[in-house]
Amino acid sequence: MRIGVYVCHCGLNIAGVLEPDILTEFAKTLPGVEVARDLQFTCSDTGQETIKEDIKEHKLESIVVAACSPRLHEPTFRRVVSEAGMNPFMLEMANIREQCSWVHMDEPPQAQEKAKDLIRMAVAKAALLNPLTGETMPVSREVLVIGGGVAGIQAALDLADCGLHVYLVERRPTIGGYMALLTDVFPTNDCSICVLAPKMTDVYNHPLITLVTYAEILNVDGSVGRFTVSGVKKARFVDEKLCKGCLNECAGVCPVEVPDDYEFGLGKRKAIFMPIPQAVPLVACIDPESCIGCGLCAEACPVDAVKYDQKQEDFRFDVGAIIVATGWQSFDPARKEEYGYGRYRDVISALQIERLLNAAGPTGGEVVRPSTGDVAKSVAFLQCVGSRDETVGNPYCSRVCCMYALKNAQLIKEKYPEAEVSIHYIDLRAGGEGYEEFYIRAQRLGINFIRGRVSEVEEVDGALRVNYEDTLLGGFRSKPYDLVVLSAGLEANRDADVVGNLLGLSKRPDGFFEIAHPKMRPVEAHIDGVFIAGCASGPKEIQVSIAQGEAAASKAMGLLVRGELALDPVVAVVDSEKCIGCKLCVETCPSMAISVNGTALVDEAACKGCGTCAAACPVDAIGMTLFSDEQILAQIHAATAVKGQYPFIVGFLCNWCSYAGADLAGTSRIQYPTNMRAIRVMCAGRVDPAFVIEALKGGADGVLISGCRLGECHYSKGNYQAYQRVQVLKGVLEKVGINPGRVKIVWCAASEGEILAKEVRKFVRELEEMGPVGTELAPPGSPQPSGGGS
Amino acid sequence: MKLAYYPGCVARSTGREYEISTRAVCDALGVELEEIDDWNCCGATHVSNEVVSTALAARNLVRTDIPVMASCSICYSRLRAAMIRLEDRKVREKVNSAFDKKYEGEKEVEHVIETIARALSKSGDKDKDQEEEKGPKDLVVRPLAGLKAAPYYGCLLTRPGGGIDSPENPSILENLIRTLGAEPTEFRLKMKCCCGPIFVPEEEAAADTLIRILLNAKESGADFVVALCPLCHLMLDANQVLLEKKFGEKISLPILYVTQMAGLALGLAPEELGLDINLVSTKPVLEKLAAAEGEKTEEEGAEVC
Repeated sequence: MRIGVYVCHCGLNIAGVLEPDILTEFAKTLPGVEVARDLQFTCSDTGQETIKEDIKEHKLESIVVAACSPRLHEPTFRRVVSEAGMNPFMLEMANIREQCSWVHMDEPPQAQEKAKDLIRMAVAKAALLNPLTGETMPVSREVLVIGGGVAGIQAALDLADCGLHVYLVERRPTIGGYMALLTDVFPTNDCSICVLAPKMTDVYNHPLITLVTYAEILNVDGSVGRFTVSGVKKARFVDEKLCKGCLNECAGVCPVEVPDDYEFGLGKRKAIFMPIPQAVPLVACIDPESCIGCGLCAEACPVDAVKYDQKQEDFRFDVGAIIVATGWQSFDPARKEEYGYGRYRDVISALQIERLLNAAGPTGGEVVRPSTGDVAKSVAFLQCVGSRDETVGNPYCSRVCCMYALKNAQLIKEKYPEAEVSIHYIDLRAGGEGYEEFYIRAQRLGINFIRGRVSEVEEVDGALRVNYEDTLLGGFRSKPYDLVVLSAGLEANRDADVVGNLLGLSKRPDGFFEIAHPKMRPVEAHIDGVFIAGCASGPKEIQVSIAQGEAAASKAMGLLVRGELALDPVVAVVDSEKCIGCKLCVETCPSMAISVNGTALVDEAACKGCGTCAAACPVDAIGMTLFSDEQILAQIHAATAVKGQYPFIVGFLCNWCSYAGADLAGTSRIQYPTNMRAIRVMCAGRVDPAFVIEALKGGADGVLISGCRLGECHYSKGNYQAYQRVQVLKGVLEKVGINPGRVKIVWCAASEGEILAKEVRKFVRELEEMGPVGTELAPPGSPQPSGGGS
Repeated sequence: MKLAYYPGCVARSTGREYEISTRAVCDALGVELEEIDDWNCCGATHVSNEVVSTALAARNLVRTDIPVMASCSICYSRLRAAMIRLEDRKVREKVNSAFDKKYEGEKEVEHVIETIARALSKSGDKDKDQEEEKGPKDLVVRPLAGLKAAPYYGCLLTRPGGGIDSPENPSILENLIRTLGAEPTEFRLKMKCCCGPIFVPEEEAAADTLIRILLNAKESGADFVVALCPLCHLMLDANQVLLEKKFGEKISLPILYVTQMAGLALGLAPEELGLDINLVSTKPVLEKLAAAEGEKTEEEGAEVC
């Protein structure tokens, strides 16, 4: 391999501490190096041109740039070499700025030695680089949206309006979700269904949206760009094409009445029913659980749409991306037994008051006491029922309850000005455009705000009493009310578990689906091509759910609009000769990219190149196209070739957090000892125990592995796997007599340069106490194994 | 069936009738009690120090290998709480460092109400031991028909949560009352604190609450209150005369331990159950029971004629 090495001065950033000319002379002595130069600013036009000219003139095959962090300029130099006709992956960088000159400013001689090692390591890896081509793959330009609530509706409409075909799958008989059942919505108090119904109709009429209601998804195969989805559309026993949606004819004659789940138990419906008047599709549905098969509805139907022999239908389609908008479910307020929901009829849930206030609801909009049917003269709202409550396992804030309680309190006060309305709260959270103003409006309307968590609701002589501590006035109080409304929190929708498992989505401790990054990637799942919108990833108000539907649609569009996907060539490759089909890699892979059919097969489109599988494979049958075993071992050998410092540490830093953290230590000029030679890996999970052993065998006194903080792994759980492997390895080392403290695993976020520096300092001290590697095998004073002397 | 009996300190002082009736009832139910050897405080006296109170409870638990039964709700709650704390490895190591016999976990602790309810339930496991045991119809020889009982839970029977019943709205006592032939009343304040722990520092507040509890029980139509805990019993029974004077209310509501109530239904004599030790006279209960039996005998007699 003909290698060119370019040592950058970076003005005085590097040259102020190191001596680039001497490093250049050193580089020339390394095997395979055809040309080595020091350049003032390698990234400048002049520097770039020099490299390009050398490539042509010296027929270079591989390039090493010893300069800043690859996280900064690797893309630049990849472009440079590819402009010179070379494969862009034939480039390796030695980070002698962020991780050398900037962090060892007070020790130039040791820094110079470290820089030599870093260059030797880079050259060793460069000699083993392979040209990689990022292939493209044709993708389906169709999208599956799971869940027909407002988030899913918005995503479907946006995608279809941009020309992508959408399958919208909803498990209930109508789309619209919870929003279709609410009365007016905050902060404008406009009628919920009035603003939603036009969108629902648009979905129904859109030529590019295939609406599949009353359906379940049963299987998902494939990966980004080419998912295959199958499921069933349940029988509603009414022909969708024939039904005119008149309803009165069939439901009018149906003799069966059951509690209406769309009224949350407050009203009744027939066995043949229309979920809501604005249902989309506007087709009746027979509930087989309650239907007695009397045949009256079939007789009554003027168009003969009732079909008792209707069967469920299978469906199957290929899509390029999936948007999960599976929504939420209400916390069951009966679980807070002290509030008497389910025991006292006049204790109702927030969803029930929405229906009572709704003009289309069971009482025509009258807020009545269920026990008597009389209009309630006093109403209490109890906040944080099932939210911010460790006793029921929900420590999180449900985010919308303060606002909906303010809204419902206002609606009651406007309709019944004489009514006494109180909100019992622990904190009122009104963060959002127009929300605080909305809160002030509620105060002006004369609604009482009482701070303190309610201890219990009891029924005394047929009347409800709310007992509470008033933490503003001080003291325990008891207040009678006609009606008590429990502001139940939002929980993860358990019905979505099936879909979550099929797609391999991970869940946060609060039960909601986890997004790829809690801040920076709000609608992406860990799985490529899968997006999450709305309350599926946590409680959200309508406006945010809509925004997320739009965001997810735009991410899906960005992915599929060109009709092809560029694949990252940094992937795992299986040697099917060696593979024993043990499936360990399948369990290890965070991207569900590996399947085993006899031997393992990596789906290159789904693989994200973390390399955790390669480290896990018990027979070394999995290799990586970049960061390969050979390349990393070559770096380890190069690092330990001279061992010019004691204690000598080989480090493995994960690309996303720890390597970035080490770079940050550099840009922050945080000084730490020069003892570590860091090897960049994509994930801490890539670190094969064999690497650690190789480093110790080579004479390293310690090995430091640093990954993302637990719970923050870029690949979701690679750091846990790294931790597990290190624990096992420590046990093995102890057995053979090596101090297990020589292997250390730490967590460092990209923002924690100080932590990385501190860990290196600490590790150096620990290793100094342990002594050079191997000393523990022959403790002083013990008989020497080899005789012969004295 | 054999259980390790943990009496607790009150059994030998203000709650003598609880111990007497507990032993009598268990005997009648065929439950053998083996008193834990050299038992000590359940830990309730040291709740402010988690390690000490846990260790005190644990020292009792390690002294037996069979399931432990306690009749005092405080003891029962302390033993359970200790078991939960001892799931924490660090706490367990610390506690065990003081013991010769180590706490190894997997202990069983039950309250006497569970013992009674299980013995009376027909749907018990049908293994050999239990086949010999009799169902409620055989055991409840004197159903408490016509008597109304106010079920008073107090605070600790169901806490920490996750135990025998809901900590907010339990029903185990009502069910037992029905099994014994009596009728549970709608007793709204059945879960209110008996104010035992605050009686000394906050006597006024305690008295206010106690009179509410007693009046509420009385208004519910109860002939007597059923107590599960010696401290509850003390507050409602021993205090009753003082409260009557202080508030100028006539209450005269007998407070029976759950074991005393069960004992009557099992046909035990009042003396065997220590009913003469209760401070508020239990005679009205016995008289009503006798009267109801008399009526029943008369009815039966009439049928015969």
